[in-house]
Amino acid sequence: MEFRDYYKVLGVERAATADQIKAAYRRLARKFHPDVSKEPNAEARFKEMQEAYEVLKDPEKRAAYDELGANWKAGEQFRPPPDWGSGFEFSGGAGRRGGARFRAGRAGRSGTGAAPDGASGEQDFSDFFSSLFGGGTPFGRGGGGAGRDHHARVGIDLEEAYRGTTRTLELRRPEVKPDGSVQLRTHTVRVTIPPGVTEGQLIRLAGQGAPAGGAGQAGDLYLEVHVQPHRLFQLEGRDVTLTFPVAPWEAALGASVTVPTLGGSVDMHIPAGTQSGQKLRLRGRGLPGAPAGDQYVQLKVVLPPANSPQAKALYEEMRSKLDFDPRGQPAR
Amino acid sequence: MVRVTQRLEARVLGEGDWIAASEICRLCWLDPGAVMELAELGVVAPRETPPGEWQIPATALPRLCVIGRLMRDLGVNVSGAALALELLEGRRELERRIRTLELLVSDH
Repeated sequence: MEFRDYYKVLGVERAATADQIKAAYRRLARKFHPDVSKEPNAEARFKEMQEAYEVLKDPEKRAAYDELGANWKAGEQFRPPPDWGSGFEFSGGAGRRGGARFRAGRAGRSGTGAAPDGASGEQDFSDFFSSLFGGGTPFGRGGGGAGRDHHARVGIDLEEAYRGTTRTLELRRPEVKPDGSVQLRTHTVRVTIPPGVTEGQLIRLAGQGAPAGGAGQAGDLYLEVHVQPHRLFQLEGRDVTLTFPVAPWEAALGASVTVPTLGGSVDMHIPAGTQSGQKLRLRGRGLPGAPAGDQYVQLKVVLPPANSPQAKALYEEMRSKLDFDPRGQPAR
Repeated sequence: MVRVTQRLEARVLGEGDWIAASEICRLCWLDPGAVMELAELGVVAPRETPPGEWQIPATALPRLCVIGRLMRDLGVNVSGAALALELLEGRRELERRIRTLELLVSDH
């Protein structure tokens, strides 16, 4: 595993005070929080910060981490010293919520699979962290209580939101071995996502969270859906908007045109006298649901270029024969 | 080749679903006082059914989860998180409008 330089992650000196560490974390958290940030890799950066802060804000963990020495470089191959842990006793778990780990893999669709959600409460800390500070209790709320819920984000295309899709996720679950010790085992599940899911919607997978400590029920797994931007359609709720180019005479005289929708092309009538920017509605052609969303077609009048004698003559003829001033005053 | 050990049917929480306030608290890392404050601020519209048991529409979940994360991760209070949510939604709407206008005026 690779060494992690927690001071570097937070951008503080090794001699930083607790207040300086807290201030650095707060500042970076505002910048990289996945709900707020537009920075690339914000989610990964935020998780690194959470892990670093988890260690550096805790005097016991920080002291233990500092014992490793100042000569390590981030990314260097690392193994805990053989006597590691003999001199420390950590009073808390690995994370604020117990430290059980969850990992949702990217299997299935490259780049659009579920990713662990650093902002969602899962402390999916690195192997480096686990090797130093353990994973905490892998089970839920202790005793016979129910197991914890897990959260992850899943990215899907707009077409997948329309038709429904599947995702293959890797879940790491703690299992008790015969000798009583706990190990994490990875198992793969395929999730069917029904048609009509929208941005931000939650999907519940009952019983797929953390196992219960005793006879209680396992927690649930919640997937938060994020619909990737589409090259043609813009999504708002269940409605989609398409910007659709038309010729001036189609807008002026009316026309029947073929328009792409998520469910395939449809014929649409453009009324005579339509202006650029106006929206026409195709009822029920958005994402499925009860009720289904609509598709809005925003017309964009595109002028033919005046790049031939014939085209120039036609524009000249319009200029001379039409009493038209786009700025609102009659030309003559 | 990925070996799938289990196939799961997803349950989408959406229109028509109501969730107990206690479950909302667990899901979104909020305490009951925060949920009531968010109701007072108009961020959620709970219903009391049966008397003494509050429920929240599942459609409010994404917003409440964002508020819960902002409170937990950035150390802001309920009002601050609600304000941040409104600003984030406003920014998203403006970005959407800008994108629409850009498409309208672009050459392609």
